Amino acid sequence: MSKYVDREWFYYLRGRELLLYKLLGGSSNERITQSGVLKTQQNELMYPDEDISDGLRIEYTSLSEPFVKEALEDTNIVMSGITFSAIAASNRIADSGSGFTTSKFLANDAIRVQGSSTFDGDYTISSRDSSSAYIVLNENISANELVGERITITQIPSEDSTPSETSHPNLNRMLSLALVDYLKAMEADKIGDIQRKEYYIKEFYGKLGDNESNKRKISMTFPSGPFAVR
Amino acid sequence: MTILEIMERTGTKETSLAIAYIKDAIHLIQSNSKEKVKINKQDLIKSSDSNDNVYQLPADMIALEYVSIKDTSDGKYKRIKRLVAPPSYLLEDTSP
Repeated sequence: MSKYVDREWFYYLRGRELLLYKLLGGSSNERITQSGVLKTQQNELMYPDEDISDGLRIEYTSLSEPFVKEALEDTNIVMSGITFSAIAASNRIADSGSGFTTSKFLANDAIRVQGSSTFDGDYTISSRDSSSAYIVLNENISANELVGERITITQIPSEDSTPSETSHPNLNRMLSLALVDYLKAMEADKIGDIQRKEYYIKEFYGKLGDNESNKRKISMTFPSGPFAVR
Repeated sequence: MTILEIMERTGTKETSLAIAYIKDAIHLIQSNSKEKVKINKQDLIKSSDSNDNVYQLPADMIALEYVSIKDTSDGKYKRIKRLVAPPSYLLEDTSP
């Protein structure tokens, strides 16, 4: 059994490989034998010594789904409640409150289900019932679930795998404006106008910075002293 | 904002070139910030020979954020530290 993994496991990056190591004298191995003999050097490492299903988790950024069918700002539908259930045989999510109206989800919309005990995940909608009672999914639902759980269904961007002029970049508006600067920079580069290119690249990175700082607005308030000049 | 709108704002007429530039720009954005994060999970195997501790990084990876290992005593993933250099003392044998 693995424990104290945050203190006893380490990784080393070698090109496109990740090498895992475990502390030999850690909680699962004694460094000193009963007769007092030191078994390992300090900080001596060994290879992982156990099987763990899905034991390694890597969080990373990638160029996945660069284009979507709908602007990110328009994918804003959220439904939440305790009236949702799942029917595995027909791959349906039903709403006892008949809330799947035309103003909500439509066919080909992508959705994310959270809060369910059995069918959390990302799906695409195949069709919508005309009485608004259920939606049919393209993907399989593994088990039935009755109403009662507080479930949230959120619309997520639907990928456009064959981008055209009507596709949208999978970015918010601020980053889409940064794209405009990047394209202007590349156009300037094409004609050899390096000064102009540098200007637009600076604008591009400026908007990237603005986009990040927009998420981290901090306001500070200082009380003024009784004898402060006002 | 559609690709056409971006092209009109920049004065570009070649759609495929604009799409390629947009991909390049998104690559740069993903390299500089965490706009969209993916998660990859792999099974850990009990090492029995000299290359059993080697795991492949995801082929589509741009920037590595965190590496975690599942702590089976409580079922939680915990972030592990990176070694800046290969270990000085190492046992390839897992049952010393």
